[in-house]
Amino acid sequence: MDKTQLYGRQLCLTPAQAGDCPVGVQQLPALKISGDWINCQRCGARLPRRDAQLPNDQYYCYACLTLGRVSTLVSLYHIPEPNEFTQLLHCCWTGQLTPLQSACAQRIQQAFENRQRHLLWAVTGAGKTEMLFPGLAWALAQGLRVAIASPRVDVCLELAPRLKAAFRGAPIAVLHGRDPEPYQYCQLTICTTHQLLRFRQAFDVLIIDEVDAFPFAANPRLYYAVEHAKKANGALLYLTATPSRELLRGVRRHQLTISYLPLRFHQHLLPTMTVSLMPAWAHLLKKGRLPSRLRRRLAEYERTGQRFLIFVPRVAQLAPVHDLLARAFPQMKGLNVHAADPQRLDKVQQMRDQRVQYLVTTTILERGVTLPGIDVIVLGADDATFSTAALVQIAGRVGRSRERPDGLVWLIAANYARTIKRAKRQIEQLNRKGRRIQREVPTVSAPHPH
Amino acid sequence: MKCLLCQRPIRIKPSLDWLLSWRAFSRPITCEACWQKFTPIDRRTACAGCGRAQPSPELCRDCQRWPPERRFHSVSLFAYNDAMQAYFQQYKFAGDYRLRRVFAESMQTAVAQQAADCVVVIPVTPATLTTRGFNQVSGWLADGTNPLCGLQTVARTKAVPQSKKTRAQRLLLTQPFALTRPAPRIYQQHVLLVDDIYTTGRTIRHAASLLLENGAKSVTGLTLAR
Repeated sequence: MDKTQLYGRQLCLTPAQAGDCPVGVQQLPALKISGDWINCQRCGARLPRRDAQLPNDQYYCYACLTLGRVSTLVSLYHIPEPNEFTQLLHCCWTGQLTPLQSACAQRIQQAFENRQRHLLWAVTGAGKTEMLFPGLAWALAQGLRVAIASPRVDVCLELAPRLKAAFRGAPIAVLHGRDPEPYQYCQLTICTTHQLLRFRQAFDVLIIDEVDAFPFAANPRLYYAVEHAKKANGALLYLTATPSRELLRGVRRHQLTISYLPLRFHQHLLPTMTVSLMPAWAHLLKKGRLPSRLRRRLAEYERTGQRFLIFVPRVAQLAPVHDLLARAFPQMKGLNVHAADPQRLDKVQQMRDQRVQYLVTTTILERGVTLPGIDVIVLGADDATFSTAALVQIAGRVGRSRERPDGLVWLIAANYARTIKRAKRQIEQLNRKGRRIQREVPTVSAPHPH
Repeated sequence: MKCLLCQRPIRIKPSLDWLLSWRAFSRPITCEACWQKFTPIDRRTACAGCGRAQPSPELCRDCQRWPPERRFHSVSLFAYNDAMQAYFQQYKFAGDYRLRRVFAESMQTAVAQQAADCVVVIPVTPATLTTRGFNQVSGWLADGTNPLCGLQTVARTKAVPQSKKTRAQRLLLTQPFALTRPAPRIYQQHVLLVDDIYTTGRTIRHAASLLLENGAKSVTGLTLAR
């Protein structure tokens, strides 16, 4: 086995597979057993011994099975990261940052230099990737090992070509579960957060994009993965538009530093949410009627041709809502789309091409979709499927064009849920900061009238 | 309580009858939706030779091509479909030993129904046993242990797993099994031979003929999937 395969990694090998390991390799136990619990040394899971048993007093970890099984039959093999790069990556990006962006970029580079843990809270559609480039260029020139990880494969796949275009001189590793490429020791790695479990004290700089996205937010394994994949003195940067309460608590406790980018790329504020309490909306829907306020709004859309998205909490509600709209407003053309829909991409494309006026959808369209100049209506915004992060992301779909930087975000709910309150508060907090910057920086255009 | 297969929470509504019956509560292992994806084979119309699901109980084409053996037939519990394939992928190849519980009850009931004199399990090679850590069939039958099973493999390792071969290649397999020592007591006995999947029948028929040559009166095969 090639030595570089093990630099900063932890691989599960059986004694037979480990026969041809290079010298200087560390062999670490894969599982630790204590009392009624077993502790996975790769993902940090603590599992009841009874559930995790194999025959003959052997144990395995069922929490990280997708990456190959960790059990008492294997050990973890590891060589400490030597930062042994024959060729360094260099930056050949020539784009320009706005003054606000470059201030943020400087702050990021400073965090890398000081090996800090940092959180960048930037609104949706602020141009986060470009702001990373100066910091990345510095780190790569120093010969540091860098990784950019995201919970979503789509984000990785989108990032990879942009980074490959900006940084030349050596290969960049792209690791994810969808189509496995053989692992290659590279200075810059782009991967899903799950893949970080295969690394041990490898990265001097670790960047986590979209920390708020599923499954990162709900999975304590992945926080463990992040802590173990970076070197003990490595820099850590979280990027998000909707930080979780845990991250913000870290900021309050001075475990994390924070910087904000409260204005979007067109220098405008985030659109604010309008909340209407309509306790009977689901009941009316069952009877085949729309709440009258919604009806009036939709009639106006029918007249003006304004395009919009309607979010509903459950897949089962898509068809009834869509039928109702189609019957009440036969002039407007629309589609419904959900995660398991085979024509999902095609339908979104139709909306993009302006062939349909509206989409009825579930939370799948909450992020990563840019449809300029739309309005958004959320039915049942108090439902548990709409988390605070989801609501902020949904609001972020609105106002994504220079021509129409504002728009309507209308939440229809049976009651004023905590998630709605927190989402409103997050947006208000950022907009307050945004207004301050708009006042301070004279080059920025005047705030758009609401 | 989560479904072992889809990890979604299982909701149960206890009926008043059940509450008043004062019976022990048995935790469901899979959710209803996951369980429905497996299709049980109707044993009244299945093939009399191999237990394949078909509309009428005559010998299927595969079985007609085998040399007739009156002392052996096989039954299967479920049809091999996508859900079953996914199950084996996770249980056998990814090695999630918890999943044995999904079919443990079905298999144990089927073994009890056959009322054989002795039960023999198709073994795995010692090399597989050290990497996988368990025999997938023993997992369903006994909880947590690999009992002495009467058969052992001749080879220590398998060069190419049976699941990676084509039908023609599978049929070329030579006798892979031998009796364990001391030899199991099978003379003049009805033996139940248990395996995971019946595909071409090559493996289980090798094992059956070995048992018959060593004096078994008859052999019934039992597999989870066909």
